[in-house]
Amino acid sequence: MKVPISWLSEFIELKESPERIAEILTIGGVEVEAIENPYENLGDLIAVKILEVYEPEDLKDLVLCKVTDGKETYTVLTTAKKQVKPNLIVGLAKPESFTFSGEKVEVKAVKKFKSYGMFLSPYEAGLGEEKEKLLVLPENAPLGESIYKILGISEKVLDLAITPNRGDLLSILGVAREIHTLTSWEFNPPNFENAIKTGEKFPGKIEILDKDGCFRYAGRFFGNIKVKESPFYIQKRLWLCGLRPINNIVDITNYVLLELGQPLHAFDWEKIEDKTILIRKAYPGEKLLMLDGVERTFTEEDLVIADAKKPMVLAGIMGGEESGVSENTKNIFLESAWFNQKRIRKSSQRHRITTESSYRFERNIDPEGVVLGLLRASELISKIAEPEILSEIVDVYPKHFIPPQISLFNQKLTKYLGFSIPSEEVEKILKKIGQVRRSGYGFQFIPFSYRQDLRIPEDLVEEVARIYGYDKIPSSFPRSTLHCQSPSKILIFEKKLKDILKSLGFSEVITYSFIDPKTLEKLNLEKNDPRLNFIELANPLSSNQSIMRTTLIPGLIETACFNFFREVNSLKIFEIGKIFLPTEDLLAKEPLYLGILLMGNTNKETWYENLRKFDIYDLKGYLASLFEILKVNVDFKPYSSETFLKRGVSFDLYLDGEKIGFAGEMKNLVLKEFDLKTCVFIAEINLQSLFEKIETLEKEFIVKKPPKYPSTFRDVTCIIKKQIKIKEILDFVKTLSIPYLEAVDCIKIYEGSPIPEGEKSITIRFWYRAEDRTLKDKEVNEIQDSVAKKIFERFSAKPR
Amino acid sequence: MISEEIEKLKKEVWENFEKIQDLSHLENFRVKYLGKKGKITFLLKSLKDLSLEEKRRLGKELNELRDQLERKLKIKEREILFKEEDKDLGLDLTLPGRSFSVGTLHPLSQVIGELCDIFSRLGFEIVTGPEIETEYYNFTALNIPDWHPARDMQATFYLKNGALLRTHTSPMQIRTMLERKPPLRIIAPGKVYRCDADVRHSPMFHQLEGLMVDKDVSFADLKGVLTYFAKETFGKKTRVRFRPSYFPFTEPSLEMDIECVICKGKGCRVCGEAGWLEILGAGMVHPEVFNAVNYDTETWQGFAFGLGIERITMIKYGIDDIRMFFENHLSFLQSFK
Ligand SMILES: [Zn+2]
Repeated sequence: MKVPISWLSEFIELKESPERIAEILTIGGVEVEAIENPYENLGDLIAVKILEVYEPEDLKDLVLCKVTDGKETYTVLTTAKKQVKPNLIVGLAKPESFTFSGEKVEVKAVKKFKSYGMFLSPYEAGLGEEKEKLLVLPENAPLGESIYKILGISEKVLDLAITPNRGDLLSILGVAREIHTLTSWEFNPPNFENAIKTGEKFPGKIEILDKDGCFRYAGRFFGNIKVKESPFYIQKRLWLCGLRPINNIVDITNYVLLELGQPLHAFDWEKIEDKTILIRKAYPGEKLLMLDGVERTFTEEDLVIADAKKPMVLAGIMGGEESGVSENTKNIFLESAWFNQKRIRKSSQRHRITTESSYRFERNIDPEGVVLGLLRASELISKIAEPEILSEIVDVYPKHFIPPQISLFNQKLTKYLGFSIPSEEVEKILKKIGQVRRSGYGFQFIPFSYRQDLRIPEDLVEEVARIYGYDKIPSSFPRSTLHCQSPSKILIFEKKLKDILKSLGFSEVITYSFIDPKTLEKLNLEKNDPRLNFIELANPLSSNQSIMRTTLIPGLIETACFNFFREVNSLKIFEIGKIFLPTEDLLAKEPLYLGILLMGNTNKETWYENLRKFDIYDLKGYLASLFEILKVNVDFKPYSSETFLKRGVSFDLYLDGEKIGFAGEMKNLVLKEFDLKTCVFIAEINLQSLFEKIETLEKEFIVKKPPKYPSTFRDVTCIIKKQIKIKEILDFVKTLSIPYLEAVDCIKIYEGSPIPEGEKSITIRFWYRAEDRTLKDKEVNEIQDSVAKKIFERFSAKPR
Repeated sequence: MISEEIEKLKKEVWENFEKIQDLSHLENFRVKYLGKKGKITFLLKSLKDLSLEEKRRLGKELNELRDQLERKLKIKEREILFKEEDKDLGLDLTLPGRSFSVGTLHPLSQVIGELCDIFSRLGFEIVTGPEIETEYYNFTALNIPDWHPARDMQATFYLKNGALLRTHTSPMQIRTMLERKPPLRIIAPGKVYRCDADVRHSPMFHQLEGLMVDKDVSFADLKGVLTYFAKETFGKKTRVRFRPSYFPFTEPSLEMDIECVICKGKGCRVCGEAGWLEILGAGMVHPEVFNAVNYDTETWQGFAFGLGIERITMIKYGIDDIRMFFENHLSFLQSFK
């Protein structure tokens, strides 16, 4: 809401600078977002000197002037043929600037002549009525300087962010009143003593049929008015507040709306069928072509102002095109009403229209301001539109507004604030916003009618604290009973996972919870894949953020892409976040997932190390470390059933017989869909399942003592068939129940010459240790010989 | 005669000793004087023809020389060995060291972690809840009925089934209070969503909600807790300011500003010349909210606050584009190591 200081000062004696006023308002709870200078905002409107005037023959009414701004010279075309002459200093709106009437100035060309700007009239400069005259500046005016600086003209406008509860601040009067409340500077409310309150009998009929929609409806008839342009001061004030002038009648309704906060609507009397004005529910399907050129269809929930035959206005929101005031209008009916804020809000939401008027009705207006608004408008219309006839004021007000009575107890105030404000002070503050009576242990309070937001004692606590000053209330620490709950286990689990992955060198990413459905298509999922059963947004910002993710993979791959195209050749990232699965219910299932992605190289190329690309064993290794630290025995089952992974380079991850995730290399064809030309390894784990399994499987963890006696190892090296998997051998070893065996692992694999095609050489290492003594070489050898023999037999191995 | 030789030998020995440079020198020296055929050994042997008294005197002298020499040689040898290891091996020590990759948590995770720590110190417990919510929890129970213009403050993403993406973490106030009896003290960090996207707004962002309900927890206490939070987060010298504001679910309501960290209150582009940066919204829990969860407003009162994690992170680290958080450029992430 824009509040020109000059207008504000009509209602309150401003004792401080605009900057200081802005601070007082902000600290008082009315946030000033900016102090604007509308003249400066127009752009380069500067003083130039006319050097020469040409009258090229083929330009008819135009003349060409050569002008200087003290630095450069340029040409300007003008119609003010008779006024321009050399050495005259005039105002020029340069290209890219704006004039008062809202026109954007551009470089224009007529025939071969160019015009670098536009000479200003006092009107286009926003300084006065005259449109035909040139704005002539004093002889000694510095060239190139802003005309407003030269003329000493400045307008400052406060731009306020009014909170939705304070509809009463949506007017100049309201802001003046608020400053008065916060400062006690002298307040001069508008005086309606001399207003024209009576008139001829109203020549029509007004009836409120929907009493839930309209609480009060007042109006007046004006006969034989002159619709024309508004006087300059009205236009200027509208302009300062960001509104366009239209004609004197419409401008006056806007003027009063800005000044007093009371929305008004003017009807062309001749368009009102049977001179009957009905405030009623719209009939379902009823249509109205409205002022914005859009025809809207109403429902029963809409409130309309109708005549005997048709709706004329969507009440409190916007008028119809037909019944509005035009240049040809002679007689008008002026409406001032109080509508139900909820009804207006719902209609304006349904039809997606917000107007100055609906904005105020939604935030509720002052019920007692309805007639005052009409009186103020009457005063202006009488002055400006010269009506020959004024009717009486009709005021249909079936049920008078009764303000709430609120009790505020001293004890409540003190307990709520944690601080005691003296009663006299509280009384003084409350008197600023309503009627106060001391009673027993506190106050009986009735708010002024414009303070529709004050309803309960807590509202008064805020008013007292606010006007007293939030900063004057001391800070303290709560006094409270100590009560402790165990922290959430899954949160601890999540934090532990993040710490583990960080220590493994991963960077955490956070991607959007909504994704592009196309990214799921790219994954080449089976038709019945549960991930294709997603939740859709009804009003997404764009189609690429239109569904809730059912997997973390698209987000991770897109992060990989983003980095890949920014020359990141090595990426090791993870994300922990929710995925969203639909349920029978309104709410979704939101299990926590972990996604891991490796892309490109494991390292940078350096003086000590060659480039190496990530491979499946990197991914498997990281996951294995993770599971080791979590002390869970996760089974890496080749091969994964995920269709976007290369089958031969993938695992499904099983814990206790349940699939908890997968890991593997992305198919090149899938990556190509994402424009990614590098290798990507990916894993996804359902943390919810993992966590729940860990909770149920959790065993007592007891630390093993470090061994006292040394271990010894023996290797078996042999040549076996290539397709024999290491796990088969290790599983076989397990079945042998080998005494003293502590660990066994494959430490070497070799394929190629001189090993025959289709075979490989492997080395398996066996560690032996006894808990109570050092093992003798001889006994270990005996054990190992028998083991080796069994392996050779079982796998038809050949010695190397 | 022999004693002269001994004198001569002594002189020679100490002169040559000083000349020892390296281990081979040292070994030659040892052989030359102390070896089986060494000069001192030889002289000792040649003493056998002398008188008993001379034998004893010169023998003692020679033995002392030998012992002394052996001691000094040991020291010398150690010195040489130490020096050997100081030799320039021709390494180029200007080469960079081997690097290893260090992981990092997302800056938003880090800030959430810090804030959770701060409030945990005050006894607040961390709770979390659903990101897909109903109108009831997100609005109605928080005293924002569907006709209320306050709904404009939060542009809402709706789902096709009529549910919505929570626009703030405040539904956690309702969920927690319905689940538990007072007194309570919780914080709820998490993702929230609003349909809004530009340099300062992201359609997804993070908030942290706080709620304390007790018998006489007051507005002054709220100021105290928030001031503590601001000083712990932005530094002990941070100045704060409280402005009245409006939220349908608190009354009285406030917003807290901190003195601009860039200009220290003088006014700059970042703070819009105001000298202050808005940090959070808060207030005393509105009685309608207590009514919605059946808490007795005669007995219980409390405060709630909600703050934007991105905003705090941006202020803390001078980030001017909120989208950077969700682009996840590796170099951006790694700068928070
Ligand atoms: Zn600043």
